[in-house]
Amino acid sequence: MRTSSLRKVFLGLLGLAVFILVWKLITDAKLVSPIFFPSPERTLASLIKGLSGGALLGQTLETVQRMLLGWLLASLVGIMLGALIGVSRRARAFIAPTLELLRPLPASAMIPIAIAFLGFSNPMVLVVIAFGALWPMLLATIHGFAAMEPRLYEVSAVLGLTRLQTIWKLALPSAMPMILASLRLGLTISLILAIVGEMLASRDGLGQSILLASRSFRSADLFAGIVILGAIGLVGSRLLSLAEARLLRWQATR
Amino acid sequence: MAVTQAPFHAGEFDRADPVPRSVQPRIRIRDVTLSYGALQIIGGISVDIAPGETISVIGPSGCGKTTLLRMLAGLAKPTSGSVELDGSVLAGPNRSVAIVFQDYGKALLPWRTAAGNVSLALEARGCPARERPEIIRDLLDKIGLGRHADKYPSEMSGGMQQRLQIARCLAQEPKVLLMDEPFGALDAMTRQALQDEVLSLVAMTGATMVFVTHDLEEAIYLGDRIVCLQPNPGRVGRMVDVRLARPRDQLMTREDPEFLRLRRELYDLIKDDHQ
Repeated sequence: MRTSSLRKVFLGLLGLAVFILVWKLITDAKLVSPIFFPSPERTLASLIKGLSGGALLGQTLETVQRMLLGWLLASLVGIMLGALIGVSRRARAFIAPTLELLRPLPASAMIPIAIAFLGFSNPMVLVVIAFGALWPMLLATIHGFAAMEPRLYEVSAVLGLTRLQTIWKLALPSAMPMILASLRLGLTISLILAIVGEMLASRDGLGQSILLASRSFRSADLFAGIVILGAIGLVGSRLLSLAEARLLRWQATR
Repeated sequence: MAVTQAPFHAGEFDRADPVPRSVQPRIRIRDVTLSYGALQIIGGISVDIAPGETISVIGPSGCGKTTLLRMLAGLAKPTSGSVELDGSVLAGPNRSVAIVFQDYGKALLPWRTAAGNVSLALEARGCPARERPEIIRDLLDKIGLGRHADKYPSEMSGGMQQRLQIARCLAQEPKVLLMDEPFGALDAMTRQALQDEVLSLVAMTGATMVFVTHDLEEAIYLGDRIVCLQPNPGRVGRMVDVRLARPRDQLMTREDPEFLRLRRELYDLIKDDHQ
């Protein structure tokens, strides 16, 4: 068990090393102009410079904060709304067609509407993030609630649980595996929309920093930003995995 | 052990209905019918069940055994007639009536430990949080799960999971314990061990039990009376008194000539229904 997980980490690091090596070989051979494609060393130098005293650290924090706020907003609204819709068959029948109409809309299509109402502001970006990330959480919660084992409703009736207790103690935990998977999806969407929003609304953050670096041919800065974005995604996903393992440890032995 | 339903199997009652008229029945099933559209599932069942009595319900598949039990639990409403608990009509599920489902895997909360599953019943009846651990420990000890309080259902065998469901039902402190073929999915040894545990628990708590099973020997071994249902629509075919001494014993009771006679009698009854 222990050795196999060590081996997994080693293989992962090896893969990363090969990836960087190929990157270096391509840039060393000057297959692509360094104006567009910086070497790993230059990217690393820019990364270190940006994070130690440069603007990159602040921009990263801005973006992470935006992503998390939008994601939290979407999660809260999605799970609460999903629970309300999910517990009642009538509510599901009432609202499902409208949701199906709204769901396929790309979140970016909402940006002009959001700009019209909120201007080029931070709340605008937040609303766009929340709107885009809402769907997986909302739908997973609705489906999770609807898919609760019917026997458990009978158990709840016989034990005399209140409606609220049934939601809190039975429906929510039984929907939890689906909700947790959707939280991960929602986090990815939040990161994407935070970047897009920053680019479009010229808000401080990695999105704008990448855009400006690209426009002024600072390819090393551009890549440094992208590396950080990758790291944010990786860390977020790992943290959620840890939360998932803890919350779903009752599944681990299956 | 004092509440082992002494009057009902000692042979004092030679009537077909051994419930003394002076005692108000714990459960009174009055002319109950149940239909889904034109299809009649239950066609007029009347049974009185005395406090502390154990009734076994047998019958061929499709005779409405489970449906009858669901009506006693308040999970299904009779189309006509009524089910009374201590003299008042049962309008829906009631905490005094607990039910053990056959499919323990679906009835337990997989995300809660054994202790957590028992706790659910305590939470439902508003038992203060500080009193719960002791009650839970006590119940789990009683049912032989004392060392497994922190296990999740997925880490337990079928027999242990069914024990856990019984413990959760006992946490309701029910007057009536309904059992829907609870041991049908278990192996023979586990089944016998659980039969004895249920008997001693019922004796200890003085609960009234209605036990649905398709196993004739199980019905005789557990019951004070056996209700044999007939199908199309479900109705009482025969009511059989079980005059076997308590406490019952897996070897002695099952070798008792009366046990064998009852087994033959019930077997013939059920066989006739199948033809």
